[in-house]
This record gives sequence, C-alpha cells and structure tokens, in this order.
Amino acid sequence: MKYRIVSGFETHVELATATKIFCGCSTKFGAMPNTHCCPVCTGQPGSLPVLNKRVVEFAIRAGLATHCTINTTTHLDRKNYCYPDLPKAYQISQFDKPLCENGYVELDSGKKIRLTRIHIEEDAGKLVHERGYTYIDYNRGGVALIEIVSEPDISSPEEAREYVEKLQLIMRYIGVSDCKMQEGSMRCDVNISLTPEGSDKLGTRTEIKNMNSVSFIEKAMAYEARRQAEILDGGGEVEQATLRYDENTGETYVMRTKEDAQDYRYFPEPDLPAIIIPQSKIDETAAHMPELPIDKYRRYTGVLGLSAQTAGLLYKYKAVCDFFEKCLSLGAGAKNTANLITGTIYSSLSTEEEKEEFNAGVSAEDMAKLVRYADEGKINVTLAQMTLSKMLKEGGCVDDYITEQDLAGVSDDELEALCRKAVEENPAAAADFRGGKQKAIGSFYGYIKRASGGKADIKRADAILRKILSE
Amino acid sequence: MAITEKELKTLAKLSRLEFSEEELAGFKSGFEEMIEFCDGINSEIGGDTSSIREVGSMQTEWKDLREDVVEESLPNEKILSNVHGERGYFAVKRVVK
Repeated sequence: MKYRIVSGFETHVELATATKIFCGCSTKFGAMPNTHCCPVCTGQPGSLPVLNKRVVEFAIRAGLATHCTINTTTHLDRKNYCYPDLPKAYQISQFDKPLCENGYVELDSGKKIRLTRIHIEEDAGKLVHERGYTYIDYNRGGVALIEIVSEPDISSPEEAREYVEKLQLIMRYIGVSDCKMQEGSMRCDVNISLTPEGSDKLGTRTEIKNMNSVSFIEKAMAYEARRQAEILDGGGEVEQATLRYDENTGETYVMRTKEDAQDYRYFPEPDLPAIIIPQSKIDETAAHMPELPIDKYRRYTGVLGLSAQTAGLLYKYKAVCDFFEKCLSLGAGAKNTANLITGTIYSSLSTEEEKEEFNAGVSAEDMAKLVRYADEGKINVTLAQMTLSKMLKEGGCVDDYITEQDLAGVSDDELEALCRKAVEENPAAAADFRGGKQKAIGSFYGYIKRASGGKADIKRADAILRKILSE
Repeated sequence: MAITEKELKTLAKLSRLEFSEEELAGFKSGFEEMIEFCDGINSEIGGDTSSIREVGSMQTEWKDLREDVVEESLPNEKILSNVHGERGYFAVKRVVK
C-alpha cells in the first residue's frame, strides 16, 4: 500500500545568553567539568531560581520571527523525572501556558509548517558512561533552551531537512543561538507516523529522540517510514515507542515503549511567580527585529541585482552576509564582491562549518579596495581574483600585490600587439573563427590573460581580436 | 473520591519510595482526605477555573527579572565536597547498561 508520512518536530535550541536561565553561572562551552555550577543549578536545598531577563527577550524574538502570538502572562512548570542529569529531579519548563503560540515556518514551496508553541526551559547536565560509573558534568545543567514544537505538517525527509535548516537560519539571523547541531546547541525529536494514501486516519506514531545532524534526520525518517510501512503491509500494528537512531547501522532501536512511558506530573513551579510581559516590550522587540533570511534573500536578488544562485550561496551563512555587507558599506559593488566571495573565498573553505564561521582570510577594508579597483575598471576581474587568491594564501594587503603599473592597465598598443601575437600563435583557432565558429575566439582569451599577467581587459581584447580576424 | 491501591503504588514508585503492603494501606485514608478537600473546592466552582484570576501577589514584573550578567560560580572542590567525585565529575553507579 502507498502511505503518506505525517511528521512533527520538537526542536531544542540552546540560547546564546551569557548566563544560565535561573542563576548567574556562565554558559561558556568547553570549561572544565562542574566549574560553572552553583547552589541553584545543582539543586541545593534552600536555593531559589531567578529568571534571566534575556532568556525571555530571546524567546520573544524567536516567537516573533516565526509569526507566533506572544502571551503577555506566562508561567513556568515543574516537569518531574528522576535521572542523574537533573540534580533537582525535576526540570523547570512550561506546560499549559507557553510564552509563544501559533506560529509557522514557510518553506520555499510556500507550504507553511505550523508551530504549536515555543516555550522556555532549562537544559540538563551531561552524562558520560564509563566502566561501572556514570560521570556527571552539570555545566550544561540550567543553560537556557527554547523548545519549538511543530504541528505534524512535515510530509517527507526532504521537507524535514528544509524545515530544520530554515529554523536554524532564522535563529542565527536573530542572534538568539548559534544552532550548532554538532555541538548540541540544536537538537530535534522527530515524531513520525504513516497514513494510507487518501485516508485521514492518523497512524500510531513513534518518536526518534535527540537527532543532532540534518543528514541523519533525513536518513532516520526514511528508515523509520520504511520500517512502519513493512509492519503495516504485513498486517501488523506499529507500536507506540520512543526510539534511538544508530548512526553506524542506520537503523532505529526501541528505547522505551508506551507501557513505561514517563509520567511527568507537571504542576506550576512554586519557586517562580508568573511573569507579566508588558505589551510595550513585545512591540519594542518587534520594532528592532533584525532582517530575516527570506527578506535578505529578496533584497539580494531584488535591489542588489544578484542572481538567485549567488544570493542563495550568500544568505545561508550569517557571517558571510555580515562580511559582504561590510564590504558594500565601504563602497564595493555588490556583484563583484559577491562573485569574489562565492568564487575565490569559498574555494578556500571546504566545509559547511567553515562557511558558517567564515574567517574570510582578508579584511573587509582590503576586499572593498580590491573590488573598487575592479568596479572602476582599473584592473580586470581576473586580476582581482588572482590577487585575492594570493592574499588568502600569503597574507598581506591589496597594495602589496597591485602595483602602479597594474592600475595603469595594458595600453591600447600593448593590447593590440598581444592580440596579434595570440592570433599568430593559434592559426587553427583563427581559421576556425574565420570559418564561422564564433566560439573559437575563446581560445585566444587564455593566451592573452596569461601573457598579460591577468591585466588585460578581455572585453577590450575581444573587440580588437574581432577586428584583426576580419582583416 | 477513592484512591486505589494501584494508584498508591504508582505514586510510591514515582517518588522512589518503598512501602510494605500494610504501610501503603495506611496511606489510603490520608490521601482520600486530601482529595476530598480539593473536591470541595472543585464543587464550589463546578470545575470551571476560567473566571479565576492568577494569584495577584505571585507575579513578577519585567523589571524584577535578572539581568544576564555572569556571577562567580562555586569552586569545583566545593561543588563536589559532599559527593563522590572523580576528575572533577560527580561519579555515580552506572545508570545505563
């Protein structure tokens, strides 16, 4: 039988606040174990949590960026469970009155993935299981999270990828999280069930916990959909369960079934009063929202006149956009800057992470200077590319490479001499061109570029070549 | 409302407490008294809490929230002073197989 995938996501995003959600301990990643801890985040009796203002601000920003309604009164709840990653034996989270509700994330196709809610909560500590012991580090315990819960609107692994990437980009743009999945600052729980094609009856769902890579999410969903389809086709029933995805085998495994489902006994957190959020605070946040990815993309392809492909290569990386826009503010033209970034600089960055971090290897000031030379026609694009490559490899600034002579360019006489030489040395290409093969003229470009050290303006050379070839 | 033996056992398990059958049976009347008290409140309002405002005095104003400024944490030795620690970690009996 043919089935339709019905999938909803719960996405945890670690907020980029300086301190934890309920105490002043630092959130810095990579510290020695249990050195960012205090009586509050290790759950000592008598200690009391105090909510971090910025956590609420960031969550409001996340809500506004995903078209949510922001509740002006909200409170926190206790979610009880006993496991060593949680020193209090409960997590402070939100249950019936989340901060944000009813939003959506729009995919390229125009389809909207609806968001049920976004709530704030604290992260748990990190466990390392070795030999007969479990070692606990509470540095991460109490770090602020938002949990973004979607409706079951995702209907394929490809849509899942797009949804996660869009969400990641939005959170990065608005500066609330770095969303590094490999470092665990963004993690997804994937709920998935199958419905027979043409039917509205929802199937039994399973939940794959703690996915920390987009490609694993795609693979795990595809595997799980296949597994459920095989069960249904065989006349069986899918068992409601929590699953773990094994990256090595590419299969899902049962962590727990419905029988031992957790009973969290949520109740309002007595240590924290309800929060009243002034409407003026929400309005102020809305008024100061940074540009969102979709708007930036439209601006790049619209006002700046970049191609869809080039704009697509830039807007995916916040740090790249910042660098690009800094160059523009220094007077560099959009097209040449964009092409040098996506052509020359990107070729020195091999991974997605490197593009996300984006150490350009050249200052925006130098880049802008180089682009301006090209914009003004003082040097041609080839020389600009060659210079940039050299600067990336060997360091130094533009004027170490571009000489007065370069800026003077190639004189008309010199260029004509070069063109004549190119034609003389490539008689076959000359014959082809004269015989009607327009493309053959390209064979001379390479020669002229090399012979002039990249200085020759190919557009001018083209005109001269045509004149010579028609003589 | 009556509480069943099964519910008492679940509660004990969730609270990580162990009781003998006799002890459990002894809790029954106490729990029922508490539930009855709450039922009394419920019957007054017919279970409808929509008209009831959140407790006024228990609200945080925006200005009372904490600024996001790092404060000093406790030294690692202090954090681990009452527990079995190893290499800076809390060390407990392995919790997964």
